[in-house]
Amino acid sequence: MSLDLQLTESEEMLRKTALDFIQRDAPKEVIQALQETDTGCSEELWRKATDIGWLGVIIPEMYGGTENPLTTAGVLFETLGLGPLPGPFFSSGILGSLIVLEAGTEEQKQRILPAVAAGEQILTLALTEPEYSWEPGAVQTTAESKNGDFVLNGVKLFTIDAQAATHFIVVARTGKKTVPGKGLSLFLVDSKSDGVSVRRMPGFFAGRNCEVKLDSVKVARSAMLGNKGEGWPALRQAINKSIPVLCAYKVGGCQAVLEMALEYSRIRVQFGQPVGRFQRVQDMIIEMFNHLEAARWTTYESLWKLDTQRPATESVHLAKVVSSEAYWQVCTLAHREFSGVGYAKDHPLSFHTRASRYLYNYLGDPSYHRQQIARLLTGC
Amino acid sequence: MDFSLEYTKEQAEFAKEVRRWLDENAPKDLVSPWDIRKTSPQEWQKRREFARKLGEKGWLYPRFPRQYGGGGLDVAHTFVVNEEIANRNLGPPPHYDSGGLAAPAILNCATEEQKKRFLPSMLKGEATTWQLFTEPDAGTDEANQQTSALRHVREKDHFVINGGKIFVGSIYGPPTQFLLLTKSDFEAPRHGNLAMFLAPANLPGITIQPLDLFPSGIFAQVGSGPGRKNSVFFDDVKIHESYLIGGDHDGWKVADATLTVEHGGGERVPRIPRNPVVEKFFAQCQNNPNVIKRLQENPELLHSVVDVYIGAQIERLWTLRNSGQPIRGGGPQLSMYGKMYGARLATVMASVLGPYAFADDEWALDDGIFETGERNAVCFAPGGTPEALKIVISRGLGIGR
Repeated sequence: MSLDLQLTESEEMLRKTALDFIQRDAPKEVIQALQETDTGCSEELWRKATDIGWLGVIIPEMYGGTENPLTTAGVLFETLGLGPLPGPFFSSGILGSLIVLEAGTEEQKQRILPAVAAGEQILTLALTEPEYSWEPGAVQTTAESKNGDFVLNGVKLFTIDAQAATHFIVVARTGKKTVPGKGLSLFLVDSKSDGVSVRRMPGFFAGRNCEVKLDSVKVARSAMLGNKGEGWPALRQAINKSIPVLCAYKVGGCQAVLEMALEYSRIRVQFGQPVGRFQRVQDMIIEMFNHLEAARWTTYESLWKLDTQRPATESVHLAKVVSSEAYWQVCTLAHREFSGVGYAKDHPLSFHTRASRYLYNYLGDPSYHRQQIARLLTGC
Repeated sequence: MDFSLEYTKEQAEFAKEVRRWLDENAPKDLVSPWDIRKTSPQEWQKRREFARKLGEKGWLYPRFPRQYGGGGLDVAHTFVVNEEIANRNLGPPPHYDSGGLAAPAILNCATEEQKKRFLPSMLKGEATTWQLFTEPDAGTDEANQQTSALRHVREKDHFVINGGKIFVGSIYGPPTQFLLLTKSDFEAPRHGNLAMFLAPANLPGITIQPLDLFPSGIFAQVGSGPGRKNSVFFDDVKIHESYLIGGDHDGWKVADATLTVEHGGGERVPRIPRNPVVEKFFAQCQNNPNVIKRLQENPELLHSVVDVYIGAQIERLWTLRNSGQPIRGGGPQLSMYGKMYGARLATVMASVLGPYAFADDEWALDDGIFETGERNAVCFAPGGTPEALKIVISRGLGIGR
């Protein structure tokens, strides 16, 4: 047995670098301001993050990245989640990159991934539509073949980071909807193309969700990632590998909220003593601590399974259920402790509450992933 | 027992009268956004105008004695007035900020002269009132007031007020007056060191500063509520002692009278909970094809909807109980349940409706009611957090401090 649940030396270093970055370059005032921008990011922060190599953290060296295991990416995103730092880091650096790696041809990988690692191309997945679902059957956006190229029509709703992206990975129907998952293709669409319109969705908890409309958008045959009609299995694979990295971001969020709740319980005095002495407050903090630790270890085990090529599907669903619920509940509990001060838009708790909400459904909400576990565990 | 809410013959006649009056006097074109912050000043003026008409009729505060401008009605008739107004989606009266909390305190604790001076303008809808209790260091620990009200050194019939209040009032400021809790004695023991004023809001030295918070009220207040909270600062504010309610060491007693009302007791006639968020949510579950599909495909979601239904029934029955045979601790119990229920419903809405629960544009369902509901569901503070309410419930059950 070689059980070792410590971070490696290089993961520790990465964590420290990311922590310095969050503390120095993205303090609470910066994060609050970024939340209000359409892109969630500033050019300066994007450049710095690119220079450190974060956008290519999992991209193979041959495509211009630093080729780290997913666990390392988890360590990075856990630290970014402390902020929580918004911006298309996950959308492009993890999910977008993995889709290209899973679905793209060799030529496409060589063309796209170095630009992603260099922060020049910013990718985001445009999958969900008005009939909100993470299953293939709900996709109604069409890609019609025309003179060897394609014309895309449809609405991609609740697309995260679309305002920041230079390119969308659009999931569109190129064949009949007979078997779910068949007949879907992936297209790399330039966000500046004619017929594309993007709008950030308002609503405090809508966070980074956008509406993307595709109105007769012409794309070249070469923009199709992989083979026609075979996009779904590769996409599913990429989503599954990405999920635990997103979960790690939520773990970071839980950690940050727990820390602020602990700090507040020590300094907030009511009835002549710090509120942390009251068992009701202790109960809530212990519940938060339980959520955090449940999210952390389900997340890191699933990352380890993926990195070591073990069967990981069940573990990925588990991590997504636990971490999404944990982040939501930790924030709700913290609001009960913080009361009035936590409702201020400039209080970091409100940043996390916002993130815990807009990321709750992203890549499938807990009930969806519970159902996937049920299918794996039982004959149902 | 009789759980029926059907009107008796006599009440039905009265309801007809109320309806006739509302036909003539209620604004027809009122726009009622779910987030009250979206109410325009013109819309607010329409509401005020309507409230003044209700006040003239005595129906803004139907339970209060006629001699002060109330309606002099019993519980049943008050219930009828409230129901008929609610049926027209005119928002819960009084639309008057914390007047509904302050007026009972005045009625119970003020001198006869003060009642005659203060109540008519409140009950007739002319004066608006904010409750100013909470301070940075007096949240759950309400008695820990730091805003001082000390006798003026030379003019002994005046007090001088200094300090600051937080998370108070509403979007419709400034009000006419504040029900203001202060500390009048720095030597006297806790609870016996406070003084309550009904202070005009336009005294020199008062500053109101709006706060930028993301909820617009608690979960139960979607479609009503304060919309916004403020800080109010007092800088050497001089006030005559005739504004003091009760003695200058009786502040806690007066505060208790309003808190009892706020926690669901006292003379408040409860309205049957018509939580529009819950109603609209069930309508989505019944009519929205995408939602129905999600429910059909996922038994967990279906069960969570049933739990929401069960919670709504418990809340409804406890409301009836509180209006009929109140039990000890029952007021804060209902208040706490409403908050915990809201928090549970928020997760169910996010799962069943998906991110539509957070949408606030043309994609929003039911004009964005769920988006407002989601934000308000984490707002536990007004009237006490669940943890604070547990203290009050325990006290009611005879096991607390």
